Amino acid sequence: MKVSVLQENLAKGLSIVGRAVPTRPTMQVLANVLLETEEGRLKLAATNLELGITAWIGAKIEEDGAITIPARTFIDLVNTLSRERVDLDLNVRSQTLRVHCGATNSNIKGIDSNEFPLIPQAGDDPGIAIPGAVLREMITQTVFSAATDDNRPILTGVYTRVTPEKIIMAAADGYRLSVRTAPLEIGAPQSLEMIIPARTLSEMARIISDEDEEVLVSIPRGRNQVIFHLKNVDVASTLLDGKFPDYDAIIPKSFSTSTVAYTADLLTACKRADIFARDVNNNAKVTITPADSPSAPGLVRLSATSTERGDADAIVDATIQGDVQEISFNVRYLIDVLNVVKEEQVLLQSNGPTAPGVIRPVGRDDFTHVIMPMSVGR
Amino acid sequence: MTRKILHLDLDAFFCAVEIQLNPALDGKPFAVGGRPEERGVVASCSYPARQFGVRSAMPMSKAVRLCPELIIVPHSFPAYHEASGKVMDILNNLTPSVEQISIDEAFLDVSLLAEDPGAIAHRLQAAINDQLNLPCSLGVATNKLLAKIANNIGKGAARGGHPPNAIQIVPPGQEAAFLAPLPITQLWGVGPRTAERLEALGMHTIGDIARWPQEDLARRFGKHGEAIALHARGLDDRPVEVTHEIKSISQETTFTHDVSDAQLLRRTLRALADGVGRRLRQSALTGKTVHIKLRWDDFTTLTRQITLDHPTDQDDEIYAAALRLFDQHWPPGRAVRLLGVGVSGFEEPHRQLGLWEDTGSRAEQRRLQATLDSLRDRFGDSAIQRGSTLRKPRKRRPQRPT
Repeated sequence: MKVSVLQENLAKGLSIVGRAVPTRPTMQVLANVLLETEEGRLKLAATNLELGITAWIGAKIEEDGAITIPARTFIDLVNTLSRERVDLDLNVRSQTLRVHCGATNSNIKGIDSNEFPLIPQAGDDPGIAIPGAVLREMITQTVFSAATDDNRPILTGVYTRVTPEKIIMAAADGYRLSVRTAPLEIGAPQSLEMIIPARTLSEMARIISDEDEEVLVSIPRGRNQVIFHLKNVDVASTLLDGKFPDYDAIIPKSFSTSTVAYTADLLTACKRADIFARDVNNNAKVTITPADSPSAPGLVRLSATSTERGDADAIVDATIQGDVQEISFNVRYLIDVLNVVKEEQVLLQSNGPTAPGVIRPVGRDDFTHVIMPMSVGR
Repeated sequence: MTRKILHLDLDAFFCAVEIQLNPALDGKPFAVGGRPEERGVVASCSYPARQFGVRSAMPMSKAVRLCPELIIVPHSFPAYHEASGKVMDILNNLTPSVEQISIDEAFLDVSLLAEDPGAIAHRLQAAINDQLNLPCSLGVATNKLLAKIANNIGKGAARGGHPPNAIQIVPPGQEAAFLAPLPITQLWGVGPRTAERLEALGMHTIGDIARWPQEDLARRFGKHGEAIALHARGLDDRPVEVTHEIKSISQETTFTHDVSDAQLLRRTLRALADGVGRRLRQSALTGKTVHIKLRWDDFTTLTRQITLDHPTDQDDEIYAAALRLFDQHWPPGRAVRLLGVGVSGFEEPHRQLGLWEDTGSRAEQRRLQATLDSLRDRFGDSAIQRGSTLRKPRKRRPQRPT
């Protein structure tokens, strides 16, 4: 193998595939990144056997070939190189890759590419097409609600359902739930559902760039896998096995109090309360008081008290219909959801201090977030 | 070396604090506790109320029957804790060797102070009377057993509708003589059942027990009998154990024979978890970390812990976590010598409610737990038991909580 690439392209490609390199590899070769010439481009790939990422970068190929080399070593080296042409020259007999850039010369010992596991790539499997920006937004609006601990493994995934008309993504960690839908121009031939690891989707949100006008999502039959096909990147992931809990039933349909506030105001108030809520398990009290006259605004008060450090009280004007409410929430949960609401105004609905609260952007019906309150005292 | 031990008990402590909060109560018959229509129990009663026969731990409905003009006052626990803390500060200023037994009771070891222990008792009483305006009684003796009994006798000798503020001293060498005429129920460890059996054998005073052959008591009552025999002679070598801030509440059991039966081990785990839960609730603590302790037949010991997502004082939650740890770390069939359960990581109670959780059934569970607790408060720990523990073979030797 003898190829030349631009340092910039190589560094970017490695930063994408490098995320799939396991921190504690079960086999030595998994700590490596695969380099392989393919149809006039250089293919880079890495996998932890659950998540596999493949990226292609432009290259000038003098001689075809393939090798795997330690990812950490190669990435660290490439990041120090100047923004010039990088020549990669494989000594097949010693399986050593010579990296030459400007006045720098380096030799990295590799492992035969035949030992590298096969990473599935998009084929002719059934799938859907979705605009990259839409998929990225769907992911950022759901993935933060997925569980990060392994108490209920199924909740570490994002429930994804595709139909001929639309795609639905839902994630819940047991305390909060995000549901986001989007219409599909090219939908699935028939409805199917899967649970994609949240980790995979977080990587996807990072990888999708503005160049990716369209992402093809294919679900190979009977393989328990999903493959995302982007312009220059393929992401393959195993799916989680099991049944996602019924979430439709827990989204309340009617409310005793509805509040509309400016998203940015509410977010600032939450961040202020969070400074003191940190000491008390992120617990902040939300007091919702409807206006007592038509000319005055309703008020949402966010307060948090730390016995050691003090307290904060922030008041936000709001349009409120219904009863007075006093509810304790994990203020981090409120911040998480307000961070992903792009609309100017947000709707907060509640049925009291032990009932699920619902948050939606005003003027849209494709995103719903549910948060359970905290109970304080005995 | 002859020790100098003091036992201090605040007289009708909750009532004394209530009088400070509301001086109009002074001299009136009143009781701190829950209302009779809510099946409340007398937690503490004033000395005027005692003249009508009202006693603590009595159902409030009965107290009101005995004393129709009884004033019922709800608990003010924060005020009790504050006042108790001030008393303990005075004790700790005198000596670091203070063992607090409850909110209103403590032992002090003043052996290293040159002063006469009776004089120390008077000085302490005066300080607590004057600085905190709280009545208190003290027992002075050469060990904990005698100091405590002396205090009981001293308080009991007081008459009239006012706090006893008593001091009772048992001089060194007089222990057995002091105890001899007292009824056997005054002795620690002699409950109604044991008393009945001792009476049947013709023992009516502590002196009778002291004269009874020690070996025979040991034969009839086992280890318990040996302890009774020693206590009856006024012997007690337990040290005053300095109490620190509670960091963990735990209970453990050593089996007389190593146990490898899963059923029995789980049942024991259940009983230990229940005991820890009850002590947490008694101490008004909730903790986030549950641990188990396993000692194998070769004496190696394993401790494993798990952190919950919210602090708890509920038996079922403690048991569920303990069982999870047990199932993870107990290789089926392996012989266990000791089993323990504990809770630490105390925090203010709070809980993130779950999306798929039935909050109604949870509240129901808490009410059930509270009802069980109040039954046990009134009728003793064995008043109500789990079906699973009823079949328990009488093999376990319970140990003092650690």
